[in-house]
Amino acid sequence: MNEWVIETRALSKRYKGRYAVSGLNLKIAKGDIYGFLGPNGAGKTTTIRMLLGLIKPSSGSVHIFGKELQKERLSILRRVGSLVEYPSYYGHLSAVDNLEAIRRILDVPVGKIAEVLDIVGLAKEARRPVKGFSLGMKQRLGIASALLGSPELLVLDEPTNGLDPSGILEIRELIKDMPRQHGITVLISSHLLSEVELTAGTVGIIRQGELVFQDTIESLHRQAQGQIRLVVSEPEQATVALMQHGFRAELKESAVWLNGGQGDDAVAGAVKRLVEREHSVYRVEERRKSLEELFLQIVGEGLRA
Amino acid sequence: MMSGFLRLAASERLKLAKSPIWLLIPLSPLLSLVIGLLVNLDEFGQADNAIKYEVLVSAMAAFHAMLFLPILTGIFSAFVCRYEHAGGGWKQLLAMPVSRTGLYFAKFLTVGALLAIAQLLFLGAVVAAAFYQGLGDGVPWGMLLTSVFSGWLACLPLAALQLLVSVGWSSFAAPLVINVMLTVPNMLVLNSERFAPFYPWAQPMLAMLSFGDSELGRLALPLENVLITVTGSFVVFLAAGLVYFNRKEV
Repeated sequence: MNEWVIETRALSKRYKGRYAVSGLNLKIAKGDIYGFLGPNGAGKTTTIRMLLGLIKPSSGSVHIFGKELQKERLSILRRVGSLVEYPSYYGHLSAVDNLEAIRRILDVPVGKIAEVLDIVGLAKEARRPVKGFSLGMKQRLGIASALLGSPELLVLDEPTNGLDPSGILEIRELIKDMPRQHGITVLISSHLLSEVELTAGTVGIIRQGELVFQDTIESLHRQAQGQIRLVVSEPEQATVALMQHGFRAELKESAVWLNGGQGDDAVAGAVKRLVEREHSVYRVEERRKSLEELFLQIVGEGLRA
Repeated sequence: MMSGFLRLAASERLKLAKSPIWLLIPLSPLLSLVIGLLVNLDEFGQADNAIKYEVLVSAMAAFHAMLFLPILTGIFSAFVCRYEHAGGGWKQLLAMPVSRTGLYFAKFLTVGALLAIAQLLFLGAVVAAAFYQGLGDGVPWGMLLTSVFSGWLACLPLAALQLLVSVGWSSFAAPLVINVMLTVPNMLVLNSERFAPFYPWAQPMLAMLSFGDSELGRLALPLENVLITVTGSFVVFLAAGLVYFNRKEV
């Protein structure tokens, strides 16, 4: 029918008259890593719970692998691995037994347990009761559980929540390899852009239950394109002069800022005009808005995609 | 469908394998054994072996069937949900390709199996006490097995209700408190001919002490009456649990 691994149509969830998620149209392509971003409470987890059939949508539909979730939940979930909010585990059991409890349900070969433990780097700790594990290890066990059924789609809700920087790095490396090595499509949610910036191919940004941005990470980078800052003598006159020549110049912090159309020729032209008018040009710099700033701006104001 | 259910049950068994629940199960049978060893059967010196057995079982089942068995039912039900509540296991379980009805039955079956173990240990305690009391010849297996089995059956409605409460309530203690509050009145209810036949928590005791045409029959009701109450409450509680669990938002 189509090539989307996940497609939601006008997906909404209402709690007591208030929309936690409203009119969501997610589109996640095969083999992609999709970063699902938004501040806490924006509706990420609610959306993911709907994607996994844990709660029913108030309206709209979820299609996974081109099939409707409501109708074919079990056959869809067989091909999905997930980790929702925090890793779940049976503390009194060892890592192997935890995976065995899941393996029995999924009915996959016993050898798969060692394989996933190896992928997440827990092979050495496999026999210890999980209650003695660090948060990072529990998180990795959660990912191992999600991988146990050899899923084609991996849904990870805030997998780096509460981890220290090295833990975050480990998880990031782990996730990065999924599409390449195992052909898995990954949906990963986070409240921090920086966490998915380096791994995700596509990002969707949700704010107050609404999808306010959904495009490739490159497109986000483009939107974050910077301005050219010119430090010159007599900046007031320089700004006026540039505006007269049709540049979108602006005076800010006693420097001239060029907005839009900052191709090399445009910058060279602007500098030429200034030199002709005998301004001294001390510095020409590009100031990029960081992605994080742009993300905060999108999340703060909403930007129609 | 069936194989899915068996896999779920196998998974449940593993979760309980290394849990403290196994220390709890023998407690009531052991206490019953102590009572069985201490009870004085001398005044029935000339009576039939069968009567002595009835006296012995009545004495031993007094606490076991009236209090411990219903309370254990609540503990087992809370226990099979405990790990799911504690570790966020519901989300993980239900995001897997499992039917909710199947999972509910797997939990229920686990509770039933734990209760069956407790009942078999109780049976063992009765036989051990009987040998100690010199009643070794002619153990009335039919009567004992009927008693133990119908006691187990009478616990199933309670298990169904407790499972519903335990699934709904993430607290481990709250369902237990409710269960104890409903079990303690047994001591009064069992003395009431009017209410006892209809009070689900009293049925394990009534069931275990229905020896048919017994002379000690103050407590004993025909087993058929017990089974009507048991079946009725079982159907209601189990249906409520299944409807609730299938709609539960996780």
